Formats: sequence, C-alpha cells, structure tokens
Amino acid sequence: MKTLRIALAAAIAAATLLALRPDPTGAVPVFARKYGLNCTNCHSGFPRLNDWGQRFRANGYRLPDRENEEKTVLESPPPFALRTSHGYTYERFENGAEGTNASGFRVHGLDVLSAGVIAPHVSYLMVYPPQLAESRGVQGQEGTIEMASVVFSGLGSPWLNVRAGRFEPAYAAFSVKRHLSITPYEIYDYAFPGGSPFSETQEGIEVTGSSRGFAYAAGLLNGSATNRSSDGPSDAYARASMVIGAGEGQTAGQRIGVTGYLGRARPLEGLTDLQTYSRLGVDASLNLKQVNLAAQWLYGQDPKALWGPGFADDACWSGFFAELSWQPLVECVAFARYDLVNGPAANEEDITRLTGGGRYYFADNLALHLEYSRRTLDTPASDDPTEDLATARLDIGF
Amino acid sequence: MKGRWAASLLAMILVSLTLTWSTGALGQFLANGPLPPVPVPPDNPQTDAKVRLGAQLYFDTRLSADNTISCATCHAPKTGWSNPHPTDTGIRGQVGGRNSGTILNAAYMRVQFWDGRAATLEEQAVGPIHNPIEMGETLENVVRKLNGIPGYRAQFNTVFGTDANPDGIAKAIAAFERTVVTGPAPYDRWLAGEKSAMTPAAVRGMNLFNGKGHCSPCHSGPAFSDQGYHNIGAGMDRKDPDLGREVVTKDPRDRGRFKTPGLRNCALTPPYLHTGSEKTLADVIAYYDRGGIANPNLDPLMLPLNLTSREKADLVAFLEALTGTQPNITPPALPEAGPAQEGGSR
Ligand code: HEC
Ligand code: HEC
Repeated sequence: MKTLRIALAAAIAAATLLALRPDPTGAVPVFARKYGLNCTNCHSGFPRLNDWGQRFRANGYRLPDRENEEKTVLESPPPFALRTSHGYTYERFENGAEGTNASGFRVHGLDVLSAGVIAPHVSYLMVYPPQLAESRGVQGQEGTIEMASVVFSGLGSPWLNVRAGRFEPAYAAFSVKRHLSITPYEIYDYAFPGGSPFSETQEGIEVTGSSRGFAYAAGLLNGSATNRSSDGPSDAYARASMVIGAGEGQTAGQRIGVTGYLGRARPLEGLTDLQTYSRLGVDASLNLKQVNLAAQWLYGQDPKALWGPGFADDACWSGFFAELSWQPLVECVAFARYDLVNGPAANEEDITRLTGGGRYYFADNLALHLEYSRRTLDTPASDDPTEDLATARLDIGF
Repeated sequence: MKGRWAASLLAMILVSLTLTWSTGALGQFLANGPLPPVPVPPDNPQTDAKVRLGAQLYFDTRLSADNTISCATCHAPKTGWSNPHPTDTGIRGQVGGRNSGTILNAAYMRVQFWDGRAATLEEQAVGPIHNPIEMGETLENVVRKLNGIPGYRAQFNTVFGTDANPDGIAKAIAAFERTVVTGPAPYDRWLAGEKSAMTPAAVRGMNLFNGKGHCSPCHSGPAFSDQGYHNIGAGMDRKDPDLGREVVTKDPRDRGRFKTPGLRNCALTPPYLHTGSEKTLADVIAYYDRGGIANPNLDPLMLPLNLTSREKADLVAFLEALTGTQPNITPPALPEAGPAQEGGSR
C-alpha cells in the first residue's frame, strides 16, 4: 500500500514538474508526443476534443489525408500516457433534517492510456485505470479495462470504419470521457435498475462513416450486465448527424443528430424473458465564435418488468441537458449546465442538477479545475434530498 | 497484493520513461528548429567564382528578350527577394497567374514553384528565362548573348571549363541562390535560450501556431514547410481556379493543392498565397480563422479556428519573429558588352 502511495505521489510530482516545465513544447500525452504537437491541436480545453481532434479520432487516430506518413507504435515514442487529478473536494448530502459532509484533499484516480497505429488502417486505444485501494486521500478504483478497442479505418470508403472491443459508443453524442465538467450528464447516467446507461463504455462492434458533413454510426453491443452471455450481442443502435458550416460541430459548425437504441435486458430479480427497451435521442451542438451550446434530449421506454414490482405500466422517462461553454482564450474555459430527468411516473422521482465551473490551463496539459454542482432529487416528500459538490483540482495529462 | 505491486511498479516505470521521452523531440513532425547548413547537390558544388557568376546572371536584364527584366526584377532583395505585386508583371507588361515566391531560403525547399514542377534550383533557374511571359527569351539566344560578352565567356570557362550553356547558367544561378539564405531569427535565438528574443505575444503566438491554430502539421521543419502540397482553398472560389499540383500530376486529387511555402521571413514578402490575394499577415491569419475557402478538395485539417483578436495578433507577432538576419548581397558590377555582342533585342 505504501509503495503504491509513493508511486502515486511520484507520478503526480513528476507530472506537475513536467507540465510546469518552461519549455511549452515538451510534455504531452500519447498522440501529441507521437506527432510533436501541442495538446491544443486536438483539444479545445482538454479533455474536450476540438473539430481537428474529432476528425483525427474518426479517422482511426490517423491524421486525415496524411495516412501514408503515419508511423506505427513501433516507430513512435512509447505509446503511453497518464492522466491523474488531485485536489480538494467538498461534498454535502442533505436528506430532510439529516445532513452529512465529506471533504478533503484527494487523489481522484489515475488513468493509464495507450494508443497508436498498429498497421496501415489498424489502430487501437486503451484506457486502464490501475487498481487503487480506497484509503485516506486516495479514491479507490477498480483495475478494470475501461476501454480497449481496435479501429479499422480508411477501408476504401469514407463510409466504412469499424471499431471493435470495449469503447464509448457513438450514441453518446457528447463524450462522457471528454467532457468539461466532473459531474455527470444526468440523462446519460439514467437507467432502470441494473440497466446500462449511456455513460458506460460497452463491448461490441461499431461501424461509422462520414462525408461532406453527414455522418452515421451503427453498432451491436453486449448491452446490459443483466444479459447472459448466451444472449449474444443484444443491443443495437444507430445514429445520424449532420454539420452545417465548416467544422465538426465541436467548436466550429452547427451539428444536429438523432439516435435510436434498442436494447434487451432481464430484470434484476426474477427469471423473466428478455425484455426489449428503447431510447430516442436528439442532440445539437451549436457554435458561435468562442461559445458552444451542447444540448441533448433523451427519451426512454422500458417494459415495466425491468423497473421491478412497483410498476404497473411500462416506464417512460425523458430528460435533457444543456451546457453552455465559453472559451475566451486557449487558457481558460467556463461552463454552465442544467440537467433534468423526468423519471417514470410510477417512481415520482425527478432529478435536476445545476452546474457551473471553469478550467484554467497553466500549460496545455495542466489545468486547474473549479466546479460547483447541486443535484436535487424531486420526490413526493416535502424535503427533497440534495447533493452539493464543490471542488478545486489539478488535472494533469502526460 | 501482487496486483498492487504490479500497479505501483507500472506507475514507477511509466513515470521514469515519460521523463526521459518528453525531453527529446521525437515527434513525427520535424520540430521547427534552426536551419541546418544549406543542402548542396554533389554535381554542383559551391565555389566562390561560380557564386559570383551566378550573382551577375541573377541581376542581369540581358537574360530577357528585350533586356528589361532580370531575376531581380521580380525577386528583388529590397522586397524580401520577392516583389510586392499580387501576381507578376513580366516582359512587355504581361501579367502572370501566381504570386512570386521568394529566393530567400529557396535552397531549403525540396521542390520549386507553387506546384512543385521543378525539382531543383538548377531545374528551376532557366525556366523564367524562356517563360514567354516572364523573360520571354529563348535559351539559344541567351547562350549566344552571354558568349558574346567576353566577361561572361571567360567566367564560364573558368568555372565550368566551357563556354556558356544552359546547364552552366542553371548551375551558376542555383549556386548563387544557395547563398541567399537567412541567419538566426528571434525565434531561433529564443529556442537557443535567449528568452528576451521573442515578445510575450510572439511566444503566445508560437503556442497557437503549434496548438489551437493547427499550423505546425503543415508548416513543420526548420523551414516551416512540410514540403508537401495542400489545398487550403486559396482562389478556389474563382470561376476558373488555378488547379495547382494537378497541372503537374494530372491527378484530380491534387486539385487546388499548392506547395506549403516556408514561413521564415514571410513578414518581408507580402502579398501572400499563390494568388497574392492576402495583403498582410493579419489577412492571412483572418483567412485561416475563417477555415479557408470551402471546396470539395479542401484539406481536412482546414477548420474555422475561432481565434480572438488577441490570438490573431499573437500569431502575426510570431510570424514576424521568424525574420532572420538578411544576407548581405549587393548587386554586382556586370560584365561590359563586348565588341562581338549581337544586340539584345530581336
Ligand atoms: C516576371 C517575374 C519573374 C521573373 C523575371 C523571375 N521570376 Fe522567379 N518566380 C516568379 C513567379 C510568379 C514565381 C512563382 C511561380 C510558380 O510557382 O508557379 C517564381 C518562382 C521562383 C522560384 C521558386 C520559389 C518557390 O518558392 O517555389 C525561384 C527559385 C525563382 N522564381 C527564381 C527565379 C530566377 C533564378 C529567375 C531568373 C532566372 C526568376 N525567378 C525570374 C516570377 C518571376
Ligand atoms: C493544411 C496545411 C496547412 C495548414 C494547416 C496551414 N497552412 Fe499555411 N499554407 C499552406 C499552403 C499549402 C500554403 C500555400 C497555399 C496557396 O497559396 O494556395 C500556405 C500559405 C501560408 C502563408 C503564406 C505564405 C506566402 O509566402 O504566401 C502563411 C503566412 C501561412 N500559410 C501561415 C499559416 C499559419 C499561421 C497557419 C495556422 C493558422 C497555417 N499557415 C496553417 C498549408 C497550410
């Protein structure tokens, strides 16, 4: 345990030193290191991708139009990067008269990333948070593979790229792994008991393509953990989007999209047959100069069996978030978001969340993150449980 | 327990490795470091006599059909070895289609001309002479004229062991051009550790150049050119756009692609782009900020940048910090026309 803490402390110290080095063109994570580029080439406020980064990702982690110059992992600097954040967090939970606080200086995990081109048309990305035991000052994390996918791209047509393995599927129009805030998009976190929300990475296979502003994605996934392995890939989704104006809708261009999802799952309890549930999403990412508005609306329809015995009817729920962000300079970005989830009528629970925050970049890969968020669970009871979170962290990638 | 040991070991190894890697510039894009020594082809070694001869030819209007135009007319030292016109006016006032490149550091480019149609300075050098709208002369005539000037004839014989011929003309001019290179720019001094060499605005501009502006993937290497061809959209909104590289390769994928020009000394060579359509560096930045001009072949890396006005100014400040110390070259005395000269015009 001690060794681990020392290693972690060493990692953080080294990362801070590296990030603060006066030479601004040095310490950069895996892709940046490979190409000798700054983080801001692909990120507008890391971890959020800008349009350039989005094209790079869509092209299978290869620079569009320069694929034949692409170097493989063997020819590039070792393809590893680390990301860690640490800082002070204050949390308060209130439920009626009861209130609890939790606060302190914490290490918020450590991600090991590896990515690169394996062969022409084949690349990979892996994110591995090593196992950390919960202890004072260190937030525990399971040592599971969060993402590990292989991408086959440029297969003769811009309409055919294939991603397989564990990855963040394209139905999450706004990446949960690369969003500006720490607090979750509530509607992406929402699901029936045991169900898999949009925010989770999934195992499966996805085909994507785009040309002239139009893009599509479709995939088959293992889906909810309540499936049995014998059920085979059980979930399917499709997404279409278009961009008006130059860009990918990340920080330039206006993007609108629509997503449909059909999943199959079993209730947590009871041996019912597979139940089919569905999701419909509409999203928009609008840009005006340095301001971005990201909005997602999502509607879910689940058979009553999936929600458990209290449900007499099928459950319909919906919700949205709208996030406004403003990046007046490369060094800073501010954001504000409103989240709303209208839960199924039967459980009479709605969620609202208000979030505001900002990130200041001392260096491309070192950010000071400030965020405040209040989540309220609207229940029939008179006192609604609330959760407040305020945090100041350093977020480092190297 | 084992897992934890492995995890901490992994973390340790990664930290130490990362420390080592990130100190070296290992990126795929060559770092924009200082200029190396000028590359010289083995079949045309530099000699003082050859360079002197090349300089005379460069400044001599007698290489043109009507004795009015020399290389220096369009590539004048005073105007950054280029000229201030959007496109050039050659012999008899004819206007060409493209902005003239600069001779400054042309020796570092792997290909010459906007469309790369000449591979070497040697190959390039005789082109303008017999270009009907540049100097409009035939090579035969130029050779005859030069051999009629005793001073030239003697020099050609000393340098090449023969009378003037197209090969010798090309080699001498190319050798001279290899001396038209610039010394360290404020950027180079900054890189070398002189932190006051660049203003804070220029340093911010450098970070934008390598980051939010996405300039460095194309403008990479010591000369700030990837030596490749890209369609950034310039002129593509015209009725009859210049097809650029496609003219040379006949490949429609090369439509509207032009050679990435080096950016050292670009502050000295307005106007900009092959069209000469952008009058100032600020205009070029504004052009990039808009994401270029849309066309089916636009480079996928061309995107609107959402630069603020401070960021635009910072980028200009950085480009201005790329102006190096200028070569100290004054037009040489030219050999007198000899008795045997046949006259310049036809
Ligand atoms: C009438 C004006 C004119 C004259 C005279 C002229 N040039 Fe040029 N030069 C140009 C133009 C215009 C271009 C760009 C054309 C293109 O790229 O298609 C150019 C391009 C070049 C380039 C390539 C620069 C680059 O960035 O690719 C070199 C080198 C050069 N000229 C050398 C010469 C030499 C040597 C002479 C004399 C023998 C000469 N030029 C005479 C107008 C002229
Ligand atoms: C996609 C590759 C690419 C990118 C990205 C790019 N350039 Fe260029 N640049 C070119 C090419 C190609 C030209 C010549 C194009 C033409 O004339 O049609 C050029 C021309 C220029 C010129 C004019 C030089 C001259 O002598 O006329 C300047 C200045 C310049 N770029 C600066 C920048 C800056 C600053 C950025 C970043 C904001 C940038 N470039 C990004 C490829 C690129």
